[in-house]
Amino acid sequence: MNIISILQIDHLSKTLQKNPILKNITFDIKKAEIVTIVGPSGGGKTTLLRCLNRLIEADQGSIIFDQKPITDYTPPALRKNMVLVPQESVMFPGSVYDNISFALQIHDMHDEHQIKKSLTDTGLSENFLTKKASQLSGGEKKRVSLARALALFPKMLLLDEPTTGIDPKNLHTVEQRIISFSKQRNLTVLWVTHDVEQAKRVSNRIANLKQGTVTSITTPDQFQWEEAY
Amino acid sequence: MGIPYTPIEGLYILLAVSSLLVLVIILSFYKKLGIGKEFTFAILKGGGQLVLIALFLTFLFQTDLWIFLIWILLLTMILVGGHTSAKRATHMPHAFQITTPSILAGATTALMVLALSQAMPLQPQYIIPLAGMAFGNSMSICSLSLDRLVREIKLNRTGIESMLSLGISSKQAIEEYNRLSIRAALIPTIDRLKTLGLIFIPGAMAGLLIAGTDPLVAAEYQIIVYLMIVGGGIITAMTVAMLARKKIFTEYEQLAEWLYKE
Repeated sequence: MNIISILQIDHLSKTLQKNPILKNITFDIKKAEIVTIVGPSGGGKTTLLRCLNRLIEADQGSIIFDQKPITDYTPPALRKNMVLVPQESVMFPGSVYDNISFALQIHDMHDEHQIKKSLTDTGLSENFLTKKASQLSGGEKKRVSLARALALFPKMLLLDEPTTGIDPKNLHTVEQRIISFSKQRNLTVLWVTHDVEQAKRVSNRIANLKQGTVTSITTPDQFQWEEAY
Repeated sequence: MGIPYTPIEGLYILLAVSSLLVLVIILSFYKKLGIGKEFTFAILKGGGQLVLIALFLTFLFQTDLWIFLIWILLLTMILVGGHTSAKRATHMPHAFQITTPSILAGATTALMVLALSQAMPLQPQYIIPLAGMAFGNSMSICSLSLDRLVREIKLNRTGIESMLSLGISSKQAIEEYNRLSIRAALIPTIDRLKTLGLIFIPGAMAGLLIAGTDPLVAAEYQIIVYLMIVGGGIITAMTVAMLARKKIFTEYEQLAEWLYKE
């Protein structure tokens, strides 16, 4: 594993509607590492991801991404390189193909091969490209969301519960796909999950986020169940 | 030939027609509709406002100061229109900063075309009613487009954030909603255009016919009025879409906090 940090979070705090959601978060992530964030609902996991790709502004602290403070990037440039795949997979109008190619066209990166590869990397076959995106199942939509992100060749992926809605039969396949494209593409992944067993299966390190604070960050074999909740 | 009676005779006629007001009050009371009081208030308020503007217009048509006074009137129309329309954008801070310039842009462009083409002679009796129609309709179109745009954005916050998350700019992320809001604002006017003369004779043409104008000229003028409304309207709606983006997104291309208020 490359030991260079791609993301350094330093004393990050965020308050929403007078409630402190994140308190002095400090940790870093190495390049091509998969770090999962576990912890109880309302602990600040989603808020942390939203601060990282600047969908909301942090109140305090600094975030360094790929050697530069995130404020040095234009928001679209930052988000293209550190793509957030939100928990709710909203499909854009049109087919699966339209969904994947939409951002590519805007970024002037249109590539037929890449569109197909991104989709198959998530475990969906090329036959899905012509299907109407709005008619897919919840799990299929999740994978199209992942494919939209992968097609952009980001340096880092922020995944918010990426396997919610995926049936147990395909759950392990999707997990393995994410691990494998992270390795193939040297892609760093920050993965929010409520499932501690999943965190142990997929990550290099697990961060436990409780009441807005990272209480521990350990390797999966050192992680204690009782730490999570 | 115009309306064949003097203002005093008109007052008697008005009193006679007010029997319809009495009818509304009686029916409302009898059927417990609860609109009698409100209707009486509305007709007195609206009627009073019309009489006041009529007195003002009588003065304006006779004075040489009309060229100054008309600017005050137009300014009032813009400001009142801007503030009325701004109320449609619930929670949007300083929405009048969008509505006022949008109404101004649409209505003045349309009025300029009318002035340059001589459809509107530069006399107060032409400028005031046409400006009233231009500003009034631009205000309605502005309200409709802003209301629709804000509703669409609030309904589709997650979808818009999904686009932003992929590095898509705020401008591109709301393009579809801009189109929807512009179309939605213009559809009622376009539908009215389609049914012109079939279901109803519109205001300007009806007024001209009552005033004794040749029906063909009255029809031509009505078409001019509708062109003014649609032409000004599309500029208004597009300006709303353009200016609203600054209120909908922060400078860092994030959805603004007011969009999360219910």
